[in-house]
Amino acid sequence: MSRSDLGTDPYDSVEDDRWIASASASRGEIDSLLQGAGYRVCSTDLRHVAIGLEQLESAMVGDQCVASSAEAIHYNPSDLTAWVDSMLSELAPDPHLPRHPHITATANTWADPTQQRPSLHGLENHHQHRSVPAVSLQSMDEEEDAAIRLVHLLVSCADYVQRGDSEMAGSLLGQTRLALARVNTGFGIGKVAGYFVDALCRRLYPPPLSAAGGGGSAANPEILHHHFYEACPYVKFAHFTANQAILEAFQGHDRVHVVDFNLMHGLQWPALIQALALRPGGPPLLRLTGVGPPSPDGRDALREVGLRLAELARSVQVRFAFRGVAATRLEHVRPWMFQVAPGEAVAVNTVLQLHRLLGDRASPEGGDAAAAEPIDTVLAWIVGLKPKIVTVVEQEADHNKPSFLDRFTEALFYYSTMFDSLEGGRAGGSHRGGHHHHHHQQQQQTVAEAYLQREMCNIVCCEGAARVERHEPLARWRDRLGRAGLRAVHLGSNAFKQASMLLTLFSGEGYCVEEADGCLTLGWHGRPLISASAWRADDDAALPCDHQTLLVLQDHSSSVTSGSNNVVDGDDHHLRQHSVVRNNDTGSGSSCSRV
Amino acid sequence: MAGSNEINANESKMVVPLNTWVLISNFKLAYNMLRRPDGTFDRHLAEFLDRKVPANVAPANGVVSFDVLIDRPTSLLARIYRPATASAAVALLPDLCRPPSPDPFPVIIFFHGGSFAHSSANSAIYDSLCRRFVSLCSAVVVSVNYRRAPEHKYPCAYDDGWAALRWASGEPWLRSGKEAKLRVFLAGDSSGGNIAHHVAVRAAKSGVEVSGNVLLNPMFGGKLRTESEKRLDRKYFVTIEDRDWYWKAYLPEGADRDHPACNPFGPNGAKLEGLPYTRSLVVVAGLDLVQDWQLAYAQGLKKAGHSVKLVYREQATIGFYLLPNTDHFYRVMDEINDFVSSNL
Repeated sequence: MSRSDLGTDPYDSVEDDRWIASASASRGEIDSLLQGAGYRVCSTDLRHVAIGLEQLESAMVGDQCVASSAEAIHYNPSDLTAWVDSMLSELAPDPHLPRHPHITATANTWADPTQQRPSLHGLENHHQHRSVPAVSLQSMDEEEDAAIRLVHLLVSCADYVQRGDSEMAGSLLGQTRLALARVNTGFGIGKVAGYFVDALCRRLYPPPLSAAGGGGSAANPEILHHHFYEACPYVKFAHFTANQAILEAFQGHDRVHVVDFNLMHGLQWPALIQALALRPGGPPLLRLTGVGPPSPDGRDALREVGLRLAELARSVQVRFAFRGVAATRLEHVRPWMFQVAPGEAVAVNTVLQLHRLLGDRASPEGGDAAAAEPIDTVLAWIVGLKPKIVTVVEQEADHNKPSFLDRFTEALFYYSTMFDSLEGGRAGGSHRGGHHHHHHQQQQQTVAEAYLQREMCNIVCCEGAARVERHEPLARWRDRLGRAGLRAVHLGSNAFKQASMLLTLFSGEGYCVEEADGCLTLGWHGRPLISASAWRADDDAALPCDHQTLLVLQDHSSSVTSGSNNVVDGDDHHLRQHSVVRNNDTGSGSSCSRV
Repeated sequence: MAGSNEINANESKMVVPLNTWVLISNFKLAYNMLRRPDGTFDRHLAEFLDRKVPANVAPANGVVSFDVLIDRPTSLLARIYRPATASAAVALLPDLCRPPSPDPFPVIIFFHGGSFAHSSANSAIYDSLCRRFVSLCSAVVVSVNYRRAPEHKYPCAYDDGWAALRWASGEPWLRSGKEAKLRVFLAGDSSGGNIAHHVAVRAAKSGVEVSGNVLLNPMFGGKLRTESEKRLDRKYFVTIEDRDWYWKAYLPEGADRDHPACNPFGPNGAKLEGLPYTRSLVVVAGLDLVQDWQLAYAQGLKKAGHSVKLVYREQATIGFYLLPNTDHFYRVMDEINDFVSSNL
């Protein structure tokens, strides 16, 4: 090994990307060796943690430790100090237990560490992180070679596309199609490669504008999404993890308001409504505002979903009100459209939406553009709503890198793993039902693939405002959300357990739930594919835009009759009115004052 | 306050640095919460608490890692660690699956520890250790994510180990040298060491050549309570009680600790005389309560006519190889390097 690989001195307080430490790291120097083991502990806290561990040990021997009970919920194990402290605080106070710092001197001596040799393993500031899918290399040799060649061709082609050499790219595309013919496109890398070949082709030779934009079928996106929801656990995981956090945040509030950035078929909400119905002390008054695109065919799709949910809420006796906000793009939405009432506990729910607000990254290192992007505006008013909880679910991938080739390669591997899970994960629940069930599952998988194909196509073919699938990894979201004034609400072992159990029940082996710094990820074969996190506004970060919101509310309330559904099509002056859905409709009256 | 039930932490504190003490005590506390008296295991909490890291094809200290699926039906994954390739181009799977060097290089199949129940190939502590092995020996390391107890008892872990060895034997890029052969070493700590032994036995019986075994604090036991177990019980992070629990979780229902998986040179052990069993490096920590079993193991190999190098670190505790902050760590790494390079 070349000595130049040594990297930096292990005692520099260099941030290791793997353990993105947010606020707590600034307190003091983190013990670098424990950091390598996955724990963030300040060197100055080590003694305190050690004493705490000792106390907990004694308590467990004496059967006093509450934390050993099955009900105890654990959070963010990387923060060892907090973990130990929280368990200590649950201990029944025992006058006989020695309390630090009164432990005698002899108990405080630890052996001195050996003079460190220059470590081959110093921490390296690696911004880069890349995964390749856990492929099975143990396949037929010929098949394997063909697949490998195919991947190489694809990437080379993408390289030429990036360089603007459409002639070479086109020629390589031809070769790639030939290589595709030699590979089984029914499964694995062959299937995914096929989609990527198509996408590259579209990019090189864009179809006339009249053809369906963004590639893929002209099918209804909600239907595609619904099949994706059924075919694999990613969206279900997102929903129940977010709902868990929302439920906890709503505890003690009797008026709650959920803002859903992408309602679709409202699949997330029946479970929440039912959970609220069963809440000890009774359900709160629940308002749900669902954002979605305007319906193309004159239907009011949002309202239809709202009606179904209202019906469900009625059946479980939860007072419920729904409002739909139609917008072609998320950045056209304004906070006043939600008509948040004072005293309401607000939850903002964004599942696979925030990335749509991102723009191009300024530099390869990932520094963000100086100008305010739509994401910043939206995050600012989210914070301004003073939400009790903001649930964020995003794809765990970097599909927004400045270099097309980087994006392409990353997407190739990401979707390869995704597709593999669609294929392999099916095995789990398919014990019941015979041929018919199997056929149904196959259909579902096909449509789910179409859903993913749209995403892939957008990443490969589109640029500028048209490219909306700008997925970024959790590490970057953490930074961004933190800068906007949001603080992480850690997802605990109860949420983790629930997610794991549901996975075992409904999906095949191969899925993995992991905890990372208070967030949960779901992945396939060791590769995290989707992340779920929860946030709340920092108390001092809430902007005074409340005032403006209130003013606007008052302005509009006089001109609105028995409820309004604001349709925004890029021009704020056009407001069309639809009725608000309430399950305890007491007749007319401004919806603003009612709640 | 001193009673026979109480764990005396003072002695362990004298022999390890503070951060090591915190790390191992943290594991001990967590593990105590996970083992239930009825023999079941809180797997969800275990996975939640375990600190994991993803694979990374971007070089970190000259090492890259990626996961491979060895057996789809059992979802048997392994993490491959190798020296970073010279080119700056995007590392694709085809580039990663090329020999790291034209010269002979060792392939270390590593089985992580955890007493058959804890940890995974992607646990942070083992990710660090495997990366170190790559740098140390210019090796390709295959860290096997074997199935764990109590959900999967004997012989699942051994079967997975064997599957990994078979897989490695079938990978052309893992062969090196003039004869283009696989120069494989089986390595492991704690239960991983136990697995390495049993996979090596199967290899010997099947005519698969293994260049060497590296056993770090290997997990062995028996019905008898040895002197070291009695002397060191509860003193250095480990207790007889927890050892018994893990054996009960791994061994078949109704078996006792003289089962050959646990006690390979005991009354039920297989005879290794005459088998082309590989040579071994056995590292024993002087403060590990099962050292009598480990020393008996080394003796057993010798008596059966097989080469053993024993490295005994008198003041070392379990887990000394997890943090690079003691002489034990560096001296043992040197021993491993010597052993591997001289048997390549």
